[in-house]
Amino acid sequence: MARIILQNDNINLDTGKKETVSTGFISDRDILKKRSKKYLDLIAGLDAKTLTDTKGMGELMKAIQEEFGTAELTSLPLGIVSKCFLGHPYEVHTLDLSGSQIIKHYKTTETMEADFEKARTVAKHNAYAMVEVYKDKIILVREDGTATKL
Amino acid sequence: MSSNQQVISYADLSIINSALRSISSDMSGVNSELGTLNFKQDQLESELVKLADAFADFVEADLKHKALQLAETRQGNLKQDLQIKFGYYAEVRRMATGILQGVDTGVVSDETLKFTTEEVMIKAPGYWLAPALVALAAWVRSDKSTNEKALNEALKRDDYKTTLFFMLVMRRLTRNDASLKWLERYFMHQNPHNLDREFIIILEAVTTGVFPPASRQLMMINVKNWLDQLTQGDNFINEQKAQWVRFFEAKGPLPDGKYPLLEKFATNWIDLASSMRFAKTHGVLQSHFNNIFSATSDFSKSVKVQLDEILSLLVTNFDDEELPLQEQVRLNQLIIQMDGDKKSAQAMIDAEKHIFNEQVDFLQMLTNAAFNPELAGATKVTQALAVSISQPWIVEAHDTFTGNSRNKIPATVDLNIDGFISSTKDGSDEKEQVEKHETFWGNVLQTELGKLSFPTGMVIIGALICVGGLYGFTINPIVGLIGLGIGGVLIWNSINNHNKAKKAITENIEERKTKSKEVLRGCIAETVDFRKEHSTEDAKAEGLRQLLTSITAEDFSSVSKGSKSILQTN
Repeated sequence: MARIILQNDNINLDTGKKETVSTGFISDRDILKKRSKKYLDLIAGLDAKTLTDTKGMGELMKAIQEEFGTAELTSLPLGIVSKCFLGHPYEVHTLDLSGSQIIKHYKTTETMEADFEKARTVAKHNAYAMVEVYKDKIILVREDGTATKL
Repeated sequence: MSSNQQVISYADLSIINSALRSISSDMSGVNSELGTLNFKQDQLESELVKLADAFADFVEADLKHKALQLAETRQGNLKQDLQIKFGYYAEVRRMATGILQGVDTGVVSDETLKFTTEEVMIKAPGYWLAPALVALAAWVRSDKSTNEKALNEALKRDDYKTTLFFMLVMRRLTRNDASLKWLERYFMHQNPHNLDREFIIILEAVTTGVFPPASRQLMMINVKNWLDQLTQGDNFINEQKAQWVRFFEAKGPLPDGKYPLLEKFATNWIDLASSMRFAKTHGVLQSHFNNIFSATSDFSKSVKVQLDEILSLLVTNFDDEELPLQEQVRLNQLIIQMDGDKKSAQAMIDAEKHIFNEQVDFLQMLTNAAFNPELAGATKVTQALAVSISQPWIVEAHDTFTGNSRNKIPATVDLNIDGFISSTKDGSDEKEQVEKHETFWGNVLQTELGKLSFPTGMVIIGALICVGGLYGFTINPIVGLIGLGIGGVLIWNSINNHNKAKKAITENIEERKTKSKEVLRGCIAETVDFRKEHSTEDAKAEGLRQLLTSITAEDFSSVSKGSKSILQTN
């Protein structure tokens, strides 16, 4: 029943509304991309291992640089704060990436450096596996690797 | 010298005095005259002001009257102008409605349709609707070549309107393949940065299954492309994200006064309360989103009405060419309506124009539909679709909202009870708190008692009098007795008073301590409840997150037409 009337191949479709797509800037999408399982496991394992030997530390740094796709310290987080499972009185621990690359466990009563302290409340929260601390922001990472910028 | 003065004073003063008196009476006469004059002048002035006002009113009324007359004349002229230039357009429009009805019912013969539409074509050159009608008539009688030629002409004249017209007509006549083709073309016309007002209705029509099922697939492909385009940069998404975060923040319930003691004695109660409000938001949001997705009613009927409305507007509304003239007619019409008030007429027409110029980008349209479907001109079905398309940034916005509110959870409850300052994390340290409280009040008692000095002076004076009394025995035993008595009473009195004051302080402090302890216990109990409720409410965020992440836009396109729930959550 339907009659074919629309042989509109000869009709030139020119809506003239093509959009130019902007390129070449660092998007939030890149910062907020899902963190890999490997990276999460590595950070989660910080409690268990002591990492005193340089080899362990070097491996850790390599994995982190791999995760962020850069070895440049400026685009890496200053450090990572996460809940400490050593038990009372330890509450959180930090992995300082800004140079010294030291793991430090903090007791409930101890205060951290100012940059890290701002991540403390959320780092303690069970919903987040860790918190990456940057100079101008903090990024919450869930167990499944999804990231949220604050 | 002095005699001269006396002479003068005796000689002249009375005359001068009387002269002065008469002058002063004259002056008062003048004064009263002046008063009347002033009064009269005031009267005159007010009369003048009245006159000026009346004159201004007259001038204004005259201007309005003239504007009114001018508007009436102009409107007449403009209408004539319109009639001369675009008179046939109106006829075409009238005819279009008739032809559509004729095609609908099938009572008009092909010949009549052919003849009338071709006549229209000649009468209204440049108007897109004329060839569109010819094409429609040719299609009805299966005249392919005429149809194609006419269609090409219509598209040349106004591609967008012709597309919309045929899309709607084919939909009405349930020619699925054709309407799908036109829909495809319609989508190509749309610019995701700048969508037309009626787009939401088309989207709604596709969503509710008014268009053929395959149209959903088509729409989803287009929507995906647009999203890819719009989400290239951060701007559009971040804008929507920010709006969602604000939406979430505004959804929090009002405080319910469940923690009266904390409200009174916690120094950081404001932070605690807002943290609780944020935590409770998740539950509210959960039911909000559940509600959106549980919509089961069939909206396709109302959508069909809306589509027909677009179609009738399309064939009855003025063409772009006529618009400048039509706008002037409208302005003059408004001036007449406003009794010649040009300013308000201009303001009204500006407002009207603004409504019709409203264009939004696709993401904004989704957000509008998701927040308030009624206001955006959509139904719950489109709201659900909008939510499911916006899902990625809704989840992100919710994560941000949750992260922010969790970041602001006060680590401690800070108390100040009658000077006892303490803070507890979760109220689990009641024993320590009570001990601390004991120590605090012990110290208070000590310092308060320390302030009370022992009445050493009075005791010494009493003792001295006693000594004096002893000495008095050597003179007279009675004097000695009196001295001893006075001294004794003095000593006894002052010590007694001191003890009384001590007791009063101790009792007072004891009473305050008991009350304060009660409050402390209450606060600790409330803290325990508060933390418990807070973590329960906060945990709902995870449930909501699961609900939000389970929504996918793909679900929507796979469900066949006619099924009640178009969107499903996993």
